[in-house]
Amino acid sequence: MKKLNISTILASAIHESKNQVGTLLYQLQGLKDSIDNKDSSRNKIVSIEESLKKLNDEWVEYLYLYRLASDGYELHVDTFLIDEFLDDQVFALQPSAQAKNLDLNYICDPSLTGVFDERLMTAVVGTAVYNAFRFAKSKILIQARKKDNFLIISIEDDGKGFKDSLSDDFSEDFIEANTGLGLYFAELSATAHTVNDIQGYIKKETSSSIGGASLAVYLPQSE
Amino acid sequence: MAQMDFSKKKALLIEDMAEARIMQRKMLTDFGFTSIDIAMKAEAAIELLQSKSFDVILSDYNLGNGKDGQQLLEEVRHSKLIPNTATYLMVTAETSIQMVMGAIEFQPDGYITKPFSQAILQRRLRKLLETKERLYNVNIALDANDYRRAITEAELVIKKYPTLIGKCERIIGESLLELQEYKDALSSFKNTLKDRKMPWALFGKAKSYFFLDNLEKSEQCFRQLMLDNRFFVSAYDWLAKIQLAQGDLTSAQETLSEAIARSPKNILRQMELGRVSLLLKDNITAEMAYRRAVFLAKHSCYNTVEPYICHLESLARISDEGPLIPRQKDNFDTTLKKFNELFFEDPINKAKAYSYEIDVYLADNDILTAKQIFDTWLNDTAITPTKEQSATYLKVFEG
Repeated sequence: MKKLNISTILASAIHESKNQVGTLLYQLQGLKDSIDNKDSSRNKIVSIEESLKKLNDEWVEYLYLYRLASDGYELHVDTFLIDEFLDDQVFALQPSAQAKNLDLNYICDPSLTGVFDERLMTAVVGTAVYNAFRFAKSKILIQARKKDNFLIISIEDDGKGFKDSLSDDFSEDFIEANTGLGLYFAELSATAHTVNDIQGYIKKETSSSIGGASLAVYLPQSE
Repeated sequence: MAQMDFSKKKALLIEDMAEARIMQRKMLTDFGFTSIDIAMKAEAAIELLQSKSFDVILSDYNLGNGKDGQQLLEEVRHSKLIPNTATYLMVTAETSIQMVMGAIEFQPDGYITKPFSQAILQRRLRKLLETKERLYNVNIALDANDYRRAITEAELVIKKYPTLIGKCERIIGESLLELQEYKDALSSFKNTLKDRKMPWALFGKAKSYFFLDNLEKSEQCFRQLMLDNRFFVSAYDWLAKIQLAQGDLTSAQETLSEAIARSPKNILRQMELGRVSLLLKDNITAEMAYRRAVFLAKHSCYNTVEPYICHLESLARISDEGPLIPRQKDNFDTTLKKFNELFFEDPINKAKAYSYEIDVYLADNDILTAKQIFDTWLNDTAITPTKEQSATYLKVFEG
C-alpha cells in the first residue's frame, strides 16, 4: 500500500470534525430558539455553544497552520479600516468573554488603515484572545498602531505575563505549555506577510497599559 | 450601531442543505426580511433571477451536483442577470474559500464562513449593504454602461470614504478598459500595484497590455498570476487568447485543455476549445468540447445556438473521414433534436443543420435518407438551399 502523508490525512480529518462541529452548532441554535428564555438549561446551552465555537475556531487555526506550514496557503491581502476590523473581532469574541466575566475591548486611531490577509489575522487575533482568556484576571485589550512601516496589533491581558519574556524560542514554550502552538501559528501568519522582502514577525512583551502579557504582531506595510 | 431596515429588501437564499437552509431563512426573517425566495440549486436560482429582481443574494458555495456558488456568480454577473446594485454574499467552508478568493475576475461582495451566528450574519449584511449604499451612484452608472460617469462617481466616493479606495480604484481601472482607453487603464492599475500587490490590479495590467498589443508583457503578467494563484483559471483563457493572437493554435489548444482539466464546468471555455479545435481540424477534440458545452448549456445563462450547431458541425466533419460510429450517431441525433426544439426559428443555422445531417448520412452511404432530408429542406419555406448547395447535393445523389 502506498504511504500517505500523515499531515494531509490529519488536516482532512480536522476538516471533517470541524464540519461536524458546525452541524452541532446549527442544531444547538435550533434548540436554543425552541426553549423559553427563562429556562434554567439555557445557560448551560449557551456555555456549550461557546465551547463549540471555541473548538471550531481552534480547528480553523489548525487548518491554517497546516496550510502555512506546508506552503499551501495563498495570502489574500486587502486594505482595511483597523477600527472596523477590530470591532468585528471584539464583536465575535464578546460572548465568550462575557461568559468568563472578562472585559474585552480595543483601542486604535479611528482613521488607521492597514493591508493584510483578513481571514488569517482574524484567526490570529482569535487564537490570541482565547489564549488570553486563560490568563487574564479581569480584562483583555487589543491595541493597534502604525510604526516605521509596520502595522502592530497587540493582544494584551492583565494576568501574570509571559514567564520568561527573554525566551524567543517558541518550540520550548510548545513543550512547556500548549500556548506554544498558538504562538507558532501567529509567527507563521506574521511571516507570511511580506512587503518588498520585509517579513512580518511577532514579539512577546509585557503590556505597558495593563501589566500582563502582550503578544504583538508586526505586519509590514508599504511606503 | 445604526439599525438597517431590511423589510423592503428582497432576498434570495440559495442553499442545498435543508438544515442550513431552514436556519438561514429563520435568521433572515428575524432581521426583518419579508420577501425571501429559496432555491436549492444553482439552476433553480438562475430561473428565479431571470424572472425576479433581488437586493440581497445569500448563496452557499457548495450546491450539490450542479454548478457551485462561484460558477453561478460568474454566470449571473457576466450575463448581467444581477445588477451591480445587488449584494451577493457567499457562504463558504474553510476548504472552499481559496477557490472563491482565487476567482479574481468575479468576486462576491462578501464572504461568510460556516458556521456563523445570527448576530454575525446580521452584522455582515448590514455592513455590506452600507457599502453598497455608499457606492450606489457608481453602481447605477455601471449598470447603465456609463463608464465615464462611473469613474467620476468612484473618484467622489474615494474622497468621501477613503477606505473604499480599493474597490473604487478597481472600478476606475476596469471602466477605463471598457472605454478602450488602455494606456490610462494601464497606468491606473500600475498605480495601485505600487502600493498594494492586489491580484485584480495585476490582472488589469495584463489585460491592458493585451489590448495595447504588447503580448509579451501581457503573457508575463498572466504567467505571474498563474504562479501566485493556482485557483485563477481565467489566466489560462487569456494566455490562450495571446497564443491565438500570435497564431499559435496548437499551444492555445493545449492551454485551454489544461484550463478545462482544472475547471471543466465552464461552458464558454468548452466552446472556445471547440472553436480552436475546429480551426485546427482536430474534430475529435472539438466534438468532445462542444458535446460538454451542449450539456452545460441547458441550465446556463448562455443557452445560445452556438454549442448546438457547432457540435453538429464537428460530427459532420468527423464523418468526412468515414461513417460515424453508433455512439457518435446517437450524439448527433440527440443534439439535433435539442437544436430543433430550441432554435426552430433560426433559418440560417437551420440550413447549416440540414447540410450537416445530409453529410452524416452520405458518409454512411445512406443516400436514400440523405435525399429525404434534402427534400424536407427544399420544402422548408423559411430557408431553402442555395443554388450552389442544391447543385452539389443533386450531383452526389445522382452519383
